[in-house]
Amino acid sequence: MRLSELQVRHFRNLAGQELDLPAEGVAIVGENAQGKTNLLEAIYYLETFRSFRAARDERLVSFGQEFFRVAGVLMEDGAGGVVGGGELVEVAAAFRARGKRKKVTLNGQEPQRLGDGLGRVCAVVFSPADVALVSEGPGGRRRFLDIVLSLNVPGYLPALQRFRHVLGQRNAALRDGRRLEAVHAWDQGLVESGGLVMEERLRWVERWAGEFSSHYRRISGVQPAVLRYQPGVKLGGARDREGIAAAFKEALGETRDRERRLGATVVGPQRDDLILTVTEAGEARDLREYGSGGQRRTAALALRLVEAATIREARRQEPIVLMDDVLAELDPGRSERVMALMEEEETGQVLLTAPKESDVRLRRDSLPRWRIRNGMVEC
Amino acid sequence: MSLIDRVAQELSRLPGIGPKTALRLVYHLMKRPREDAVRLSQAIRELADRIRPCKRCGNFSEGELCLVCADHGRNASVICVVEEAYEVGAIERTGQYQGLYHVLGGHLSPLDGIGPHELNLQGLLDRISSSDGGVQEIIVATNASVEGEATAVYLEHVVRPLGPRVTRLARGIPVGSDLEYVDGSTIAEALTGRREM
Repeated sequence: MRLSELQVRHFRNLAGQELDLPAEGVAIVGENAQGKTNLLEAIYYLETFRSFRAARDERLVSFGQEFFRVAGVLMEDGAGGVVGGGELVEVAAAFRARGKRKKVTLNGQEPQRLGDGLGRVCAVVFSPADVALVSEGPGGRRRFLDIVLSLNVPGYLPALQRFRHVLGQRNAALRDGRRLEAVHAWDQGLVESGGLVMEERLRWVERWAGEFSSHYRRISGVQPAVLRYQPGVKLGGARDREGIAAAFKEALGETRDRERRLGATVVGPQRDDLILTVTEAGEARDLREYGSGGQRRTAALALRLVEAATIREARRQEPIVLMDDVLAELDPGRSERVMALMEEEETGQVLLTAPKESDVRLRRDSLPRWRIRNGMVEC
Repeated sequence: MSLIDRVAQELSRLPGIGPKTALRLVYHLMKRPREDAVRLSQAIRELADRIRPCKRCGNFSEGELCLVCADHGRNASVICVVEEAYEVGAIERTGQYQGLYHVLGGHLSPLDGIGPHELNLQGLLDRISSSDGGVQEIIVATNASVEGEATAVYLEHVVRPLGPRVTRLARGIPVGSDLEYVDGSTIAEALTGRREM
């Protein structure tokens, strides 16, 4: 997929501009705080209708303005994988601060539900902030899984929403000290929706763990790393939806006293995690606790590469790569290998940002250069 | 506040009526003969005075018992349980159901502070036990929402020990609709609940 036109208005420090984007992509060079990341954030907003920096919509509206609007014209890949050879799609999103009104249109039409517009844009962001995926708590890794699966697996998002809804009700029943039966009335809904969520998470990790390891090895040079799913329910070898739901149900039965004491459900996908380890001196070490800055950055990059591969397989589109100052903090050897790997894996349109001209090394300097100053792009 | 504004304000509290529609309704009433407005106000007054929950099932009723409960021709061995009284009307209009009803007055929703005690449940259990085995089937017709499902599970749990069989309304493709426009989870339900032809 290719982004051919972009319109931005009142988005963070981007006052308003219409840009025609080159097919191969572009390198955006600018000093700190000029709006490089904001531009990538605006583009990615069209995929998920949220900020990839987890900022609330109100915060995205330029200071002193009432609304922001982002619109993009995309050329989907055609049959046989011709990049940009397919249909033309226009995706637009606007948000008005007063009343917190969000409006999304696809080709000028408002979809029935916001969810129906999700994932029309196929892009992946590589950002220095991704390191938090590895170094911080499990919440960020669950959010990563949820975004990837919501965009690529039909039925995942409704199941996840249903699960969260039931979990909220069940926890409220536990908090209020309701009688046993009044709590267990929610179990069936919890187990059905949660079972689907866990099944899809497990399946995704199993599908991509091998690729993750090999990407990690390519970047690090030597070390292998392992990606593993740690479910918030003892699955005991269960793999299909029914088996997982049965294991979930059993786990609920076993934790009755504890959840009553704590006033919250203690087993389930809300306790899931992704475990990332490297083997050093014959021992598996958790990157979250023992990883160096470079190792964590490498693991985060490998996760994003796997995200791109998921899009390729599930949506049959070559993702647009949004690389935000991606070489920051990597040693020269790793930087070289990251670039080599990106050249090989990511052949689609690339929008990359860098603070200095010399940091733009992708595609043998063939990418056009744009400068950005004070929220205005100079093409 | 003028009388016109006062009436408009009262009307705008009704569902589906905004301030503009409310004003339109008021102006319309004033243009019509006086008797129209008086008849409407009397009907509303009577509604408020005379409609109350049926003592047995909780349905809207003008007397002690609603028209369904008072009708001796109905099949008293089946009770259909719904969340709200207006849902009785929806089922009655099909003309396909001859049994009785029971109105819960809502669904379980701990987040809103609604547990089993806040629903008209004990009344149902009393009806079943006092019938001496006369009630043979409970049809659970709560909504297909997360809350409706949990309420159904709870109902099944408390009703089954008393003897009657407990059934749940089927879910699936709406009659007359195109498969293409039915949402995924409904199709999935319909697939699971498919039956032999």
